[in-house]
Amino acid sequence: MAPLIPSGKRPATRAVVAVLLGVAIAGTLWVPIYARSGPKLGPVPFFYWYQLIWVPVTSVLCWVCYLLLQVRRGRHGAVRR
Amino acid sequence: MSHVNLVAFTILIGSFLAVTIIGFASARWRPAEDPMHLNEWGLGGRGFGTFVSWFLLGGDIYTAYTFVAVPALVYATGAAGFYALSYTIMVFPIVFIFGPRLWSVARARGYVSPGDFVRGRHGSQGLGLAVALTGILATMPYIALQLVGIESVLTAMGIGSSSGNALVRDVPLIIAFAVVAAYTYLAGLRAPALIAFVKDILIYLTVIVAILYIPGRLGGWGHIFNVASAHLKTVNPATGKPYGSLVVMPAGEWAFGSLALGSALALFVYPHAVTGVFAAKRRDVIRRNAAMLPAYSLVLGLIALFGYLARATPAVNAGIKADGGNPQLSVPLLFDSMFPSWFAGIADSAIVIGALVPAAVMSIAAANLFTRTIYKELISPNATPAQETRVARLASLLMKVGALGFALELDKTFSINLQLLGGVWILQTFPSVVIGLYTRWFHRAALIIGWATGMAYGTIEAYRTPGGGQAHFGASTAPVFGHITYIAVIALILNVAVSAVLTVVFRKTGLQDGYDETRPADYTADPVPARPTAAQATTPAAPSAR
Repeated sequence: MAPLIPSGKRPATRAVVAVLLGVAIAGTLWVPIYARSGPKLGPVPFFYWYQLIWVPVTSVLCWVCYLLLQVRRGRHGAVRR
Repeated sequence: MSHVNLVAFTILIGSFLAVTIIGFASARWRPAEDPMHLNEWGLGGRGFGTFVSWFLLGGDIYTAYTFVAVPALVYATGAAGFYALSYTIMVFPIVFIFGPRLWSVARARGYVSPGDFVRGRHGSQGLGLAVALTGILATMPYIALQLVGIESVLTAMGIGSSSGNALVRDVPLIIAFAVVAAYTYLAGLRAPALIAFVKDILIYLTVIVAILYIPGRLGGWGHIFNVASAHLKTVNPATGKPYGSLVVMPAGEWAFGSLALGSALALFVYPHAVTGVFAAKRRDVIRRNAAMLPAYSLVLGLIALFGYLARATPAVNAGIKADGGNPQLSVPLLFDSMFPSWFAGIADSAIVIGALVPAAVMSIAAANLFTRTIYKELISPNATPAQETRVARLASLLMKVGALGFALELDKTFSINLQLLGGVWILQTFPSVVIGLYTRWFHRAALIIGWATGMAYGTIEAYRTPGGGQAHFGASTAPVFGHITYIAVIALILNVAVSAVLTVVFRKTGLQDGYDETRPADYTADPVPARPTAAQATTPAAPSAR
């Protein structure tokens, strides 16, 4: 079976990527974390502002993973890692 | 509603005409050397960079129906409707993981649809056919629901449904769909890709203005949440239980989480999402977009909150009651009663154009599935690329006519039920498509039987579930081992379990497996586009020296 995170990178990098993406998914998959009304942000219950804040968090996590996995390419398409 | 909001209607017509011109003109955007190739018509030449892909995928995944149905759910049941936000958050890490591999193998082998890939990977026409039929079946009602989105805007404007004459009532929808069908036929995926720019700019504009302007007029968020909370606590006389809650209750957490996860996994295997992924120019485009597309999720989250804004607006509550308690009208009525009519026209245009983009991409995706997996495999194996393209164009027309028939002939709840089932069905292709990206351990025959099991179980279970005043198809969740769970997820687990057990059995009995035409290197391939076109220079986010 092929590795879940693409090959060509050191195992440590792949492990970091796996953890970051796992955190991103678990952040809203694990509902008990945020199924509560406090602490409120002004009048807004935690349930709502947590999810809205998790949107940019996921975005940043994905971007960091993208940078970690980036494969640089030379002028002639040769891959440099 | 006897009055027709003329200013809003005029603006809606104007933006529809503008989009029509763009749609037809898009045929000449990035002209292809050979336009009669399915790569061109069906995938826009596989040349969309990060910037265009962002608009196309965003315009395609976040449909008008979502923008109407999610706030409607929040309006009616509160926190439960926010599973849609949770699911569009977790879908992007999922795309990040699976998307690049699917893109690479499609590029390396020239696949244009998930059906192609499954046929090639598992060496099984039958499995490819199962995936293609599931995709087409799940997509048709989804297109029909885009019409429901348009319809709710027209109803709120006072056009259409109040007329007793069926022809007068349906004419605006028929005209709108005929026009979309015409430019999709002509320009293929280029049309929705360009129109997505207009759609998204209108959506962002509407949402930002609404979220800054409306709460102040309603007395602030504190008041809005209080009104919502008070309503949700009220006992619904039909069920004897409260309408909903402001925060998901412990008993509802499992349903909320499984709906979000199941919907996220399903979204990734929906043909229209796969089409958007395949149209990307480079492997990196997908990862970069996984990081950038959540901007739309933020918009979706704000739109979901519109459900509470609508609840706090007495005119909306009255309008919904007048229309027989249809919460689908909450957002259009909110725009109608809160905005000056010229801006209501812009906001309504955002929803209507927002329906056209996904409808076009979905019909193209279904056409690609039909052409490669059914026409080329079963009917005419020696078809030339030009013949394929002609067939795909006709298939896209048929899909639209079929969806229109759905929307006009059948009861609206039937489309909604079918779309609910569509999510259950499409998730049953996950093992063949996504698990197939990683392993060939599963036997092709086992995958087919597993798929059939999941389809049958999901359909029966959904049929047996009452709710919302309906005896059947009342909800997408059902109790399993004491937990209320999304039916699609249970069906998927059953599907994988059956596939695994039968794989062991078939291997023991020596039943012949299919030939895998793909190679490990295909899954990480990242070919530099062979044919640099003049248009590449105009793609801002794709620097040439990569």
